[in-house]
Amino acid sequence: MTIAIIKTKAEQQLAAAFERVAASLPGASWVPAMRKAAMGAFVGAGLPHRRIEAWKYTDLRAQLKEAYAPATGKGATLDEKALAAALGPNLAKLPCNRLVFVDGVFVADSSGPTPDLGTDFHFLSIADTLGDPDFDWMTHAFEQTGETKNDPLLALNAAFVTDGVTIRIVEGATLAHPVHLIFLSSSAAPAASNTRNLIRIEKGAHATILESHIAVSGLARQNNSVTALHVCAGAKVQHLKLVAEGAEATHLGTWTADIEADATYNAFQMTESVALARHQLFVTFKGEGAAFNFNAAVLGRGKSHIDTTMVIDHAVPKCTSRELLKCVLDGEARGVFQGRVIVRPGAQKSDGKQMAKALLLSSNAEFDSKPELEIYADDVVCGHGSTVAEIDEDEVFYLCARGIPKRDARALLIEAFAAEAIDAIAHDGIRQALQARLNAWLAAGV
Amino acid sequence: MLDIKNLRVKLEDEDKIILDGLTLKVPRGEVHAIMGPNGSGKSTLGYALAGRGGYEVTGGSVTWNGDDLLAMEVSERAAAGVFLAFQYPMEIPGVATLTFLRTAMNSLKKARGAKELTTPEFLKVVTAKAKDLGIDKDMLKRPVNVGFSGGEKKRMEILQMTLLEPTLCVLDETDSGLDIDALRVVADGVNKLRGKDRAILVITHYQRLLDYIVPDKVHVLSAGKIQRTGGPELAHELEKSGYAEFTGKAA
Ligand SMILES: Nc1ncnc2c1ncn2[C@@H]1O[C@H](COP(=O)(O)OP(=O)(O)O)[C@@H](O)[C@H]1O
Ligand SMILES: [Mg+2]
Repeated sequence: MTIAIIKTKAEQQLAAAFERVAASLPGASWVPAMRKAAMGAFVGAGLPHRRIEAWKYTDLRAQLKEAYAPATGKGATLDEKALAAALGPNLAKLPCNRLVFVDGVFVADSSGPTPDLGTDFHFLSIADTLGDPDFDWMTHAFEQTGETKNDPLLALNAAFVTDGVTIRIVEGATLAHPVHLIFLSSSAAPAASNTRNLIRIEKGAHATILESHIAVSGLARQNNSVTALHVCAGAKVQHLKLVAEGAEATHLGTWTADIEADATYNAFQMTESVALARHQLFVTFKGEGAAFNFNAAVLGRGKSHIDTTMVIDHAVPKCTSRELLKCVLDGEARGVFQGRVIVRPGAQKSDGKQMAKALLLSSNAEFDSKPELEIYADDVVCGHGSTVAEIDEDEVFYLCARGIPKRDARALLIEAFAAEAIDAIAHDGIRQALQARLNAWLAAGV
Repeated sequence: MLDIKNLRVKLEDEDKIILDGLTLKVPRGEVHAIMGPNGSGKSTLGYALAGRGGYEVTGGSVTWNGDDLLAMEVSERAAAGVFLAFQYPMEIPGVATLTFLRTAMNSLKKARGAKELTTPEFLKVVTAKAKDLGIDKDMLKRPVNVGFSGGEKKRMEILQMTLLEPTLCVLDETDSGLDIDALRVVADGVNKLRGKDRAILVITHYQRLLDYIVPDKVHVLSAGKIQRTGGPELAHELEKSGYAEFTGKAA
């Protein structure tokens, strides 16, 4: 018996787009076959929907009414003014190693300065290296195994990927400036972009890597961005992401991280009211004594839907994971947090804690939190918590009674709520820049 | 002058009437005390002056120097000079005390048409006044009132009062939770604020505080009204006889 699967409009558009553009996508050798297999896997399963546990609150099949055509990014140039406006003054001026992508394509001429290049880090554009025999190790980067095996976003990204970057932070180096990966959406027509970054932090290296996903105001976008991190033994990385592609944008973002012994992976994400965001994190501990700390600030208003879903795999003993999500939701915005913590047999002395807190500014806002603990070892400490609250009117009254206008009082309280996540950022310049963005977001509508 | 005429206040969510035709005048330059048994509506009077939600004014009027306080937003009342030192100050997690003080001072300066303070100016004045009140510098870095003892919260209220330069001060049970030394420090702080343009209303349950802040007049509040008005000696009388006379009347 054959089952007739009815394809949604978006699924049909994606399949058709692949037929159309596959031949023009970068990569020789093994790459076309990899793309085809990935597309086949995606088409077989279709867009994920709410009956799949990991997509319970984000029914992509229902929410993605239409799939935009892949951005070509060809001949893209950078409008520095538009870029500075989209980043905000603090981030635009951040001293960093700057790598710029416009509509999914690396723009070498507009990148830089890169003060630490050659000594502390190396990078190459994915488009330039994909399928090159010297970079055959990259085949592994596109294999989907374990928890990512059936992941539709990774599959779509592999099929359509146009560019991105491979970065190597040199063994023992302490990167003086952060690497700032800027992904700017700028083409006027609705478009989709697929980028992938492969980052390796070598033994004992220290680095800060920031991704800014931004747009020239108000464009209809569907961006699928993947970053795969490998944090070698004793290395320490702060990896941050700002998602601010505008109220019309869909951001599909996946981070995978393998963390080796005694390494520390500090992750941070801030999402400003895009139409739809799905953040996925797949974190695997590969060596004992490693730590993962995740902090996120979710700022939703309008009809924004922002989902943060993660799988933390305590595959080995003595690792620590901490997640704190602070969600500010106004209007009809919806926030989702799903945290799955797996403690494998024998992974004794695993220590995992999650906390998700939402502040609802409107009675139409909604927050769903679903922790899942799968524990197969006995000597572990794992916990989770979730709270949903409104602004405390007594606190507002107290501030107002001291002369602070109501609007400012509310903003101060919301800022204090979100700041708990932002304060965790160790890099002063980035922390201040993101605080400034938070204040700007608040000023725009509370 | 603070001029309260026939003020009626009820709880918004319940039928409970708390103030039932309260009339009171406090001229500028004077300190008046309001005394009364627990539950007589003393705090409610303070909230009604400051504009707290949940308390509905169903009748009467309140003016300060001729301006209708009841028509103003909470922050506008503060700008007009009203300051309520809370009986139970709120804790505000995540907002550092210094940030709060600076935001409040500059909001008021702005509303009153004065120049905002620079950071060094602000720090200088806060540090000096905090020292006068025996407030530790570290406390200023902590979130507003979070983890403060009862006494620390009360000192912090007085610090705010001295920094925000109000003209109408309402102190709600500022003496509760203070030991005798702290009481002196706080009373000193209040006494320094006495002046010809300022009216001060001291709400208290006990006469003790009034030994340090000697009032021009004492009013007894019970059953939602001022039942009696006298000089400082009335406080001593009440200390001996208690409020039975007034609550008895209500019963
Ligand atoms: N928010 C409130 N909810 C319920 N009851 C209240 C509230 N505020 C005041 N009351 C009641 O109103 C009366 C007066 O309270 P309050 O003004 O606090 O008195 P006092 O300060 O003189 O002790 C008391 O019976 C008290 O229980
Ligand atoms: Mg009281």
